[in-house]
Amino acid sequence: MLTDSLTRPAVAASRLPTALKIAAIGAIVVGLFFLPRYVESTYALHMMILIFINVIMGSSWNILGGYTGQFSIGHAAYFGVGAYSVMMLMQYRQIAPWWGIWVGVLAAVVVAVVIGSICFRLRGPYFVLASIAVAEIFRVTVLNVKGVTNGAEGILVTEIPPLTIGGTVITDWFSKVPFYYAGLVFAILIIFVTWLVRESKLGYYFQAIREDQDAAHSLGINLTFYKNVSLSISAAFTALAGSLYAVYVGFIDPGTVLGIDVSIEIIMIGIIGGMGTISGPVVGALVLVPLSEALRSNMITDALMKAGVVGEESKVGVFLKEHLSQAHMLIYGILVVIVILFMPQGVLGFLKKLTTRKARS
Amino acid sequence: MPLHPLCERAMSVFLQSMISGILIGGVYALIGIGLTIIFGVMRVINFAHGELLMLGMYGTYYLFTLFHVDPFVSIIIIIPLMFVFGALLQKGFINRVLAAPEHNQILLTIGLGLVMSNAIMLAFTSDYKILSTTYSSSSVKFLGLSVSTPLVISFAITAAITIALYWFLLKTDTGQAIRATAQDREAARLMGINVKRMSIIAFGLGAALAGAAGSLISPTYYIFPQVGGGFTLKAFVITVLGGMGSIVGATLGGVLIGVAESVGGVYLGAGWKEVIVFILFLLVLLFKPSGLLGKSNV
Repeated sequence: MLTDSLTRPAVAASRLPTALKIAAIGAIVVGLFFLPRYVESTYALHMMILIFINVIMGSSWNILGGYTGQFSIGHAAYFGVGAYSVMMLMQYRQIAPWWGIWVGVLAAVVVAVVIGSICFRLRGPYFVLASIAVAEIFRVTVLNVKGVTNGAEGILVTEIPPLTIGGTVITDWFSKVPFYYAGLVFAILIIFVTWLVRESKLGYYFQAIREDQDAAHSLGINLTFYKNVSLSISAAFTALAGSLYAVYVGFIDPGTVLGIDVSIEIIMIGIIGGMGTISGPVVGALVLVPLSEALRSNMITDALMKAGVVGEESKVGVFLKEHLSQAHMLIYGILVVIVILFMPQGVLGFLKKLTTRKARS
Repeated sequence: MPLHPLCERAMSVFLQSMISGILIGGVYALIGIGLTIIFGVMRVINFAHGELLMLGMYGTYYLFTLFHVDPFVSIIIIIPLMFVFGALLQKGFINRVLAAPEHNQILLTIGLGLVMSNAIMLAFTSDYKILSTTYSSSSVKFLGLSVSTPLVISFAITAAITIALYWFLLKTDTGQAIRATAQDREAARLMGINVKRMSIIAFGLGAALAGAAGSLISPTYYIFPQVGGGFTLKAFVITVLGGMGSIVGATLGGVLIGVAESVGGVYLGAGWKEVIVFILFLLVLLFKPSGLLGKSNV
């Protein structure tokens, strides 16, 4: 449903008139804004919030990895900086999250510029390895400076101060609805920013760097500067996702927001849909979030049992019920292997290929 | 001149940490050599390297608990098993992405690593396992310093494996063909070397070395499905330190990282030793990305 806006000089999609595309996107956005009025289920809202956060994570990585071709496996660093900034400010300084979030974003940009100036001297696999090392340095440091970050125990925030404007309470954060709107607005914002980047001179510089660094350099593009710009945008939104996640869940520790698993999840959202497209991360989030939720909540085992594939009392059934929810990364791994081997352009690219093949025959 | 007693103690702490660093560094070298051979021959960075080591650990653990095979004897079984496993991985998966963009190769190995660690978790739960032999906590006296027995044995075996490996790579036809492939894949192919076969052997060799390292450290480390991640990162540091693709470099890099970790752990606290390793890594990446030994010379 979202494939339309995005595939550029593409095949099937470009036949849709622009006006229709804009109308469709507008309809989806309006629909999403009114959704909480009609959907009461907190579980559905929870899923939507997770999808929004994932869209923000994937899209922001996509700006650096997909459009600029700089393959970072260390985005957990920015996610964690955002998460820790907002939580530490809230817990120890009583600063409300809607201010703290911007501190987190600012901190992530500062960190990004420092890291970028150092690591962008490296290329290819060396850059990848450096990005991992940086994220690990952050994780281990946060783990060790217990006095500041509470170390491995993490930070738990149970109460968010109510948001008031001029004395009237806007929200007390008890329901999921305010988080839903925060996620939705930020997700729309990052998609809009990605579009803006793609259509601007900046985006052309980024893509020139992705296609051929040396050629871009010889045409007068300042490589380190534009890579840093790309990383800063990317880091800012990753931090936004991180802080939104932290406030929503209410608990963070070094492993859940700074671990290499986080970096890998961010990349997977970016690549499973298709790198370097606007809708890729959206598709990635729509695939990954329901999948991992289904695994975590044992939905797949239940479905297998209902379908009679495995008996409820059988050894296999009991075993799956106990362990499959822990091993949701197994499915992630299998998914990555399949995508890389059979659809290296991501799900979107794969579908496009299928449709063009059909059109030809 | 006799040393002041305090000074003497400080000296012995330093020497102690140096020696355990060198001993554990030997095992690190094995891990690094495996990664560097794979990179040298295929230009693929194997992000599942630590997971291969983890498989070696589990293999050793179950050989020990079920069949009472001593962990150091079990490498005789683990090495060929892991070689076959690595060869199959290369034939079934890695081989298909040799011409693909770098990030796809990286993601594929990450995906394979996730599958391995989570399959193990599914099969054996995520509980920490401890392999305790009769000599696990014993130590030997060496020049007035006490050194852990399993570390000493594992270092001796590591040295033997490394020597055998050097002999294989330098003296045998297959070994020379592997080195030729690493130097210039295209030229090697033109010379009639079966490059595809060399790639399979190289990956098998890398996996076997990682598996052997896993066996050797299993008496001294906790065994759990996620143990590999840390070793993958360490393997990167080691290979970059020695120069990607350089076997001599990886050997030295392994020992260097072992010592840096051990000495750093003693003086800065165990929690910080990883930070030291990564900062060292960044410094090398930035100032001498070709590694401490310079150009690659597999």
